[in-house]
Amino acid sequence: MREYEAIVIGGGSAGLAASVALHNEGVTDILLLERDQELGGILNQCIHNGFGLKVFKEELTGPEYAERYKDIFVEKNIPYKTNTMVISCDKNRIVEYANKDEGFVKIKGKAIIMTTGCYERNAGAIQLPGDRPSGIITAGTAQKYLNMDGYLVGKKVFILGSGDIGLIMARRMTLEGAEVLGVAEIMPYSGGLNRNIVQCLDDYNIPLYLNHTITSIKGKDHIEQIVLQEVKDFIPIKGTEKTFDVDTLLLSIGLIPEQSLAEKAGIILHSKTKGPMVDESYQTNIDGIFACGNALHVHDLVDFVSTESERAGKAAAQYIKRSDKNVGLSVNTIANKGISYIVPQTIHPKSIEQNLELFLRVDGVYQDMDLVIKSGEKEIKRYKKRHLAPAEMERIIIPKQWLVDINHDLEISLEAMK
Amino acid sequence: MFDVIIIGSGISGACIARECAKYQMNTLVLEKNIDVASETTLANSAIIHAGHDPLVGSLKAKFNIIGSRMYEQMSKELDIPYLKNGGMVVATNEEEIDHIKMLYDRGLANGLKKDEIALMEQAKVRQLEPNISDDVLMALYLPTTAITYPMEAAIANLENAMDNGVQLQTDAEVIDIKKNENYFEVYTSDKVYKTKYIINAAGLYAEKISDMVVPNYFKITPRRGEYLVLDKDVHVVSHVIYPVPSKKGKGILATPQYHGNLLLGPTSEFVQFDEMKQTSSKGLNDIKNNIKKSVKNIPFNKVIRTFAGSRPTPSTKDFIIEETMVKGFINVAGIESPGLSAAPAYAEYVVEELLVKNGDFKPNTSFNPIRKRVNRMNELSIDEKNILFKKNHTYGEIICRCEQVTKGEIIDSITRNAGAKTVVGVKHRTRAGAGRCQSGFCQVEVSKILAEYMHIPLENVLYQGKHSNIVKEKTKGETNERI
Ligand SMILES: Cc1cc2nc3c(=O)[nH]c(=O)nc-3n(C[C@H](O)[C@H](O)[C@H](O)COP(=O)(O)OP(=O)(O)OC[C@H]3O[C@@H](n4cnc5c(N)ncnc54)[C@H](O)[C@@H]3O)c2cc1C
Ligand SMILES: Cc1cc2nc3c(=O)[nH]c(=O)nc-3n(C[C@H](O)[C@H](O)[C@H](O)COP(=O)(O)OP(=O)(O)OC[C@H]3O[C@@H](n4cnc5c(N)ncnc54)[C@H](O)[C@@H]3O)c2cc1C
Repeated sequence: MREYEAIVIGGGSAGLAASVALHNEGVTDILLLERDQELGGILNQCIHNGFGLKVFKEELTGPEYAERYKDIFVEKNIPYKTNTMVISCDKNRIVEYANKDEGFVKIKGKAIIMTTGCYERNAGAIQLPGDRPSGIITAGTAQKYLNMDGYLVGKKVFILGSGDIGLIMARRMTLEGAEVLGVAEIMPYSGGLNRNIVQCLDDYNIPLYLNHTITSIKGKDHIEQIVLQEVKDFIPIKGTEKTFDVDTLLLSIGLIPEQSLAEKAGIILHSKTKGPMVDESYQTNIDGIFACGNALHVHDLVDFVSTESERAGKAAAQYIKRSDKNVGLSVNTIANKGISYIVPQTIHPKSIEQNLELFLRVDGVYQDMDLVIKSGEKEIKRYKKRHLAPAEMERIIIPKQWLVDINHDLEISLEAMK
Repeated sequence: MFDVIIIGSGISGACIARECAKYQMNTLVLEKNIDVASETTLANSAIIHAGHDPLVGSLKAKFNIIGSRMYEQMSKELDIPYLKNGGMVVATNEEEIDHIKMLYDRGLANGLKKDEIALMEQAKVRQLEPNISDDVLMALYLPTTAITYPMEAAIANLENAMDNGVQLQTDAEVIDIKKNENYFEVYTSDKVYKTKYIINAAGLYAEKISDMVVPNYFKITPRRGEYLVLDKDVHVVSHVIYPVPSKKGKGILATPQYHGNLLLGPTSEFVQFDEMKQTSSKGLNDIKNNIKKSVKNIPFNKVIRTFAGSRPTPSTKDFIIEETMVKGFINVAGIESPGLSAAPAYAEYVVEELLVKNGDFKPNTSFNPIRKRVNRMNELSIDEKNILFKKNHTYGEIICRCEQVTKGEIIDSITRNAGAKTVVGVKHRTRAGAGRCQSGFCQVEVSKILAEYMHIPLENVLYQGKHSNIVKEKTKGETNERI
């Protein structure tokens, strides 16, 4: 069995950035495996603008952003295989992949970085009552049909869920001549970025129905009608039913890290992020297996995927060279009042290089709050925040010197502004 | 001129077709849908019941007992999923204990052997099923209860029938039947077929078909059952867990599925024809509330799917399996539960007793009873996989990530007899798209393979039903064209 220093599973922005970082650190015996026919991941189908504002300081389309990383990757001659699906990975870091040239092959990695991206929550997860006709499709699948293959899935569209992909597809399908009748969101706030609400719905007069859900689906073969209803505490309110004739229902009800490989390797997943639990080096509970990008937790901005993955790649390189686990005391990060999750879940204060990168999401929409980081009684930092929303991930960089002498868990919460 | 036309390709029509193939009978199966076996046979509990429940002396009892004994052999010949995991009817109070004791006697009277049925004390029940509800006091234990995959059971029978000469026409709804001197004319929207015998195995529509020949023979009312499906990693029970039956049927069951998911349901409700496949929030809530009576620790947040199917409940309360007063017209109707379990037995009865004894049919001496299912690459060792890959490189191309289904398997499922014609048809035959992401990733790829191997444009690829085209039109707009 061929043994590599590092195996990277998935060639999206996370996999590309992690591989480049590994290479920069002197790890060159890498193999990146990608199931699609080309590198770039989900970016390839995001032909809209809005990528790279943080990393490249300019607004790129998804494919353009991917191109920048692909160029560096190719320039470094990092070995990769496309059209190659990884089908298993075990705790001894033995990976099995398959493709149409080699068949089924097992290889081993000193380190493995999982960057398998995410998948879309679908109709099964939300139990839509009524008929089960065709024409109910996740927004990302519709996006793939449209942007990759040039086919429109429908002409009279309603969208359930206000996730970013749904919002972007509302605009995209409108531009292609479809009529988008509205977007229903069961929560009192949108699940997508504010800029997408403005640019994709408001600019096209597409109504966003907050506190609404779809309570009935009708259609013999293909979807014909939906019933929209207002909710209070998730319970539909009688008398608020509105009926729409449609030929397509797009679902944009959330993304979930793709972790079917991780589960089989015995990697412990977090109940909120649905991705692996990791430490500050993005290492999972299984020695030598790292995770980053949407496979770790779902990101709304690709720029954060890139920076996170560079760190993961660098940490994996160190692991390969030292081949020991982080030493010293470990503390947990605790999501307190107002916070829904924090990544990483554990940190080793002594092992932090220059600074610690924390990602978190809040559990509701807040204005003018303090985001407070504490360890035991000690307040480490207080940030003023004008606006916080679950759809917009927060990134916090904490310098190493603030953390060297902590010996309690790192607790983060929202407090009224001081 | 056909000897036999079978109307319907559910488990009834399919098993009968295979029995016909054992004789020199010129046989045709007509199915109104695009795919076979996509009505009641598609959406049910998938249990091969032991035979403890039907009333003594009924056709249900007779064919259930024989049928469930035939299943194991049939599943070996046809490579059908079959797992004898056993069942338990659980009692939670004195009245229910009396009821399972009554069922014990009924099971024996129906013909179950002493080692096929037993009353089991609480402690033993708990030991076998740690998640059984604390209220359960005693169980009726049924070791021969088994689970299968009904659609594949039907497909396998049809495929094997076709391998042995039977013909199948899908997208062919029978709209009229005319009786002539000594043959029938069977009308679909675009063709007329002549036949000596007709077997009406049209499930929920059997009344409609029967009325074309012998009006007002019986009535069929759809009785809907809704279900919740839980994710594969949920291991709550290993046996089929039945509550004590009520007047409304067998109640809400917890049934492990052959492919590893847990099934909760069915409800029982008389509905209109247009509501037969609809799920309702009431039904889904009833399932959650009622299952707790027999099983605890069910993670309802792991529900991945809901569905509904309807039983063709007959006015006569029993299966209607007989030649009518119109000679040559045979009803196989009112086939509600335990139809799936009983099918191999009544299929044999129909062909041996109602066809062969009346007509002059010689055995088909070249009949080959063996059918192999589509390979399941993810159940093979790496060496076995590579042997297949060396013969055919499409077995190295994985299309469905969640269930690890290769292009080779998908092509096989499309190109064999009684093959897939729709995206859902591929899913039912190969499990491509049946996993966690529910085809979010592979639907586009599966559609393209269907287009290629059926020689049709992508716009004509169907999801499931007749008008279920997945994409509406080709755009002229910008796409991220690949090289
Ligand atoms: C529709 C959409 C719109 C977005 N819009 C914006 C935006 O406007 N601006 C912005 O900054 N960000 C946006 N984002 C966010 C950002 O683009 C993504 O979060 C980021 O690209 C994810 O990168 P990734 O590498 O983690 O995942 P992916 O890009 O999904 O890459 C994962 C890769 O792994 C491969 N893979 C998975 N499993 C296997 C396996 N078993 N074997 C081999 N390969 C495998 C996949 O094929 C894929 O190529 C958007 C995201 C989406 C989905
Ligand atoms: C909720 C539920 C749970 C059940 N659980 C079990 C169980 O666990 N165990 C068990 O043994 N049984 C069970 N059953 C019963 C079992 O599913 C049925 O008895 C069995 O599937 C009936 O098969 P069939 O072939 O007679 O009918 P169907 O499967 O309905 O097939 C009839 C076919 O005829 C076709 N057709 C109809 N009209 C026409 C026409 N005019 N022209 C051409 N074709 C036509 C239909 O399209 C269909 O394909 C259950 C049933 C339900 C609804």
